[in-house]
Amino acid sequence: MSTAISLRNVVKTFGPTRALDGLDLEIATGEVHGYLGPNGSGKSVTIRTLLGLLRHDSGEVRLLGGDPWRDAVALHNRLAYVPGDVSLWPNLSGGEIIDYFARLRGDVDKARRDELIERFELDPRKKAGTYSKGNRQKVALVVALSSNAELLLLDEPTAGLDPLMETVFQEYILALAKQGRTVMLSSHILAEVEKLCDRVTIIRHGRTVQTGTLDDLRTTTRTAVTVSTDRKVEGFETTSGVHAVRTQGGSLRFEVDNDALGEAMSRLAGFGIRALVSQPPTLEALFLREYGDDLDEVDQTR
Amino acid sequence: MTTLLSEPTFVSGIRSVPSRRRPLAGFAHLFWFMVRRDRLRAPVWMASIIGLIAASTASVVNMFETPAELQEYATLARADAAVKAFAGPGYGLDDPTLGAVVMNEILVYTLIVVALMCVFLLIRHTRAEEETDRAELVRAAGVGRLATMAAACVWVGIINVVVATGLTLSLLAFGLPVTGTLAYGSVTCAIGMVFIGVAAAAAQIASSARAATAASGATLGVFFVMRAVGDLGTGWVTWLSPLGWAQSVRAFADERWWVLVPLVLGAAAFTAVAVALSTRRDLGAGFFKQRPGPADGSDHLATPLAMAFRLQRTSLIAWTIGLAMLGFFFGIVADQAEAMLENEAIADFFARAGAGTPTEMFLATTVLMVALTASGYTVSTVLRLRTDEMAVRAEPVLAMPVGRATWLMSYLTVSAVGTIVVMVVTGLAIGIGSAAQLGDGGQILAVLAAALAMVPALLVLAALTVALIGIRPKWAPLAWAGVVISAVSGLLAETLSLPQSIRNMSPFEHVPAMPAASFELVPIALLVLVAIGLTFGGLAAITRRDIG
Repeated sequence: MSTAISLRNVVKTFGPTRALDGLDLEIATGEVHGYLGPNGSGKSVTIRTLLGLLRHDSGEVRLLGGDPWRDAVALHNRLAYVPGDVSLWPNLSGGEIIDYFARLRGDVDKARRDELIERFELDPRKKAGTYSKGNRQKVALVVALSSNAELLLLDEPTAGLDPLMETVFQEYILALAKQGRTVMLSSHILAEVEKLCDRVTIIRHGRTVQTGTLDDLRTTTRTAVTVSTDRKVEGFETTSGVHAVRTQGGSLRFEVDNDALGEAMSRLAGFGIRALVSQPPTLEALFLREYGDDLDEVDQTR
Repeated sequence: MTTLLSEPTFVSGIRSVPSRRRPLAGFAHLFWFMVRRDRLRAPVWMASIIGLIAASTASVVNMFETPAELQEYATLARADAAVKAFAGPGYGLDDPTLGAVVMNEILVYTLIVVALMCVFLLIRHTRAEEETDRAELVRAAGVGRLATMAAACVWVGIINVVVATGLTLSLLAFGLPVTGTLAYGSVTCAIGMVFIGVAAAAAQIASSARAATAASGATLGVFFVMRAVGDLGTGWVTWLSPLGWAQSVRAFADERWWVLVPLVLGAAAFTAVAVALSTRRDLGAGFFKQRPGPADGSDHLATPLAMAFRLQRTSLIAWTIGLAMLGFFFGIVADQAEAMLENEAIADFFARAGAGTPTEMFLATTVLMVALTASGYTVSTVLRLRTDEMAVRAEPVLAMPVGRATWLMSYLTVSAVGTIVVMVVTGLAIGIGSAAQLGDGGQILAVLAAALAMVPALLVLAALTVALIGIRPKWAPLAWAGVVISAVSGLLAETLSLPQSIRNMSPFEHVPAMPAASFELVPIALLVLVAIGLTFGGLAAITRRDIG
């Protein structure tokens, strides 16, 4: 499988701020890759570096086999970009702007454009200055989704879309994925990520903290367990991999790292298990854990 | 559990005083915030206007030293329709004092710059804010419906009073009589207030900040034309224009103070209209609905260059018409040059034009003035690059297969081509105007050539702007320094006795003063080379920096 995007140990600084601090990222051709991280973690900086708009200080960046800084124009023929905050020329109509961008690429598919405009319920005759945030976003989406680009760089593309439009967006991304196109999707909408992405990368402070399939990520996190036993459980807190132990209404609740689950169960077996409920980690829990600065803090707020 | 929020103190229910009845809530906060935002801009406006008018006054005061010279000027000015159209009916010129002559030279000019200042600043704090999402955040806070406009009116009003006071003091410093000077200061201040009202009303009616500025500017233009028509003979028309009222106060010519009353009433009326409209209007909307645009883009709109032309079309047409009209008027007066240049001091002013006939020298100076004004178009057009980059509109374009050089060159090309169009049309207008008056069609081509000779100097300013944008967009507004240096050294060099080294910084200093002087290839070629060099510098720099 070939690689569409690869960043190795990439550093980008703005004065004293290290926006990317040794970032590693690998996106295979044909995959839909979720790119996640808290606000200010460097997601947009990564995408803008991949577009050749920003020049990284050190490390290696490859995009579709080229150097995004040096080969920007040639590479842009093959990719489409949707920014998170779309700013348009207020006195042009949406239709004019969509066609302008399509012609810049020389990639005009009128039928597809009209279909997308209709599906997204966009009025192309309205002046861009009167569009809401969601409608400006739709303009950028119509441009990107009607193109024949082999790679789509989407930076929070659905921020501002209503749930109905969000569904339309997902439908198109799945269709593109079926055609073997590569999508890099930066998003905060976990349901969207869960539905669309083959693999995800989570970054924080300009560094990759997790990467893999969602199943992979789930196994690295904790399961919540509620258990009732014959005898009072004692000294369980000291078991390695067990967190947030507390007693509630005669039953014991705790969280346990997935790789320590077996050990914890055998300890509990000695007290005579009467009932046991285990909940696999939710995606929210996963992200809260990875996004949060301090794990205990996360435990407390839950 | 930790407490997420401290215990809130709710304001009980819908307060006894609904916001409808507290339209000025938040006034003080907004006011001080405007002061903070303008901490650099306001002093620059004040200093520029006071400095400019003081320098003009100085040159007039220096030009006319004897009663004979004043009489000579008065005779000329009263006989000349074009002077009347520009300067007014010439109150007090039948028995000319220095004050009356100074008024004839600077009053209209002062009123125009002060009016423009008030318009720009007021729109900046009202309509332009609404185009960002900031105004919404502000209005969502405990801010009354009228608070923003009121704070803007008061703040710009204060700036206006400071400028008027500064102008009054500077005229007093030249030793002009106190009464006349006070009348001049009062009418200046009153016109500022009128245009604060005009801009506030335009901000309600127009559908964008640009449209509001344009509408206010057009109002100023209409007022100017009305008083010009009135001063040329149809006297009653003058009374339809606040600028006409301002002149009718007759500063330095047996003042008629009561005319200040309609001026103040006019200011109040415009402001009242603005207030009435603003309580009826949606935030961000104008009174005129925007017409829908085409559903499809034109086939031609396929490159950044085509887009830049599309976006700058209206601006180019407006500049061309405005400058051509100005040029035509100057062309018509050219035949008066002979008589004017009998005055030695005026002759000195035109001396830079070299050794032509008085008419030729006058035409050369006219072409220079027009070119200096056109530099506003040249530079502001290139600066749209910066606006686009700051508004993150450049980013999606550069994410397309569009090179940075292509993007940079798009607006530079529009600026260069537009500059040529403006100068050709204006050159023809000056030429036709003077030819009509002199009955000499040969002037047309000579003036056109003179106007074209100015183009390389304008291109140097455009290329300077491109170079600054290439290096760092934040620095780009420094390009205006180039315009200011050019204007000062072109128009005020003699008055301020600027050293040659400073004059040489202006690209216009190196353009032969055609048609009074003859064409010289070397300086023109050098200017073209400098422009090309700066452009390449900008192109090289832009490929090395981050975008956004």
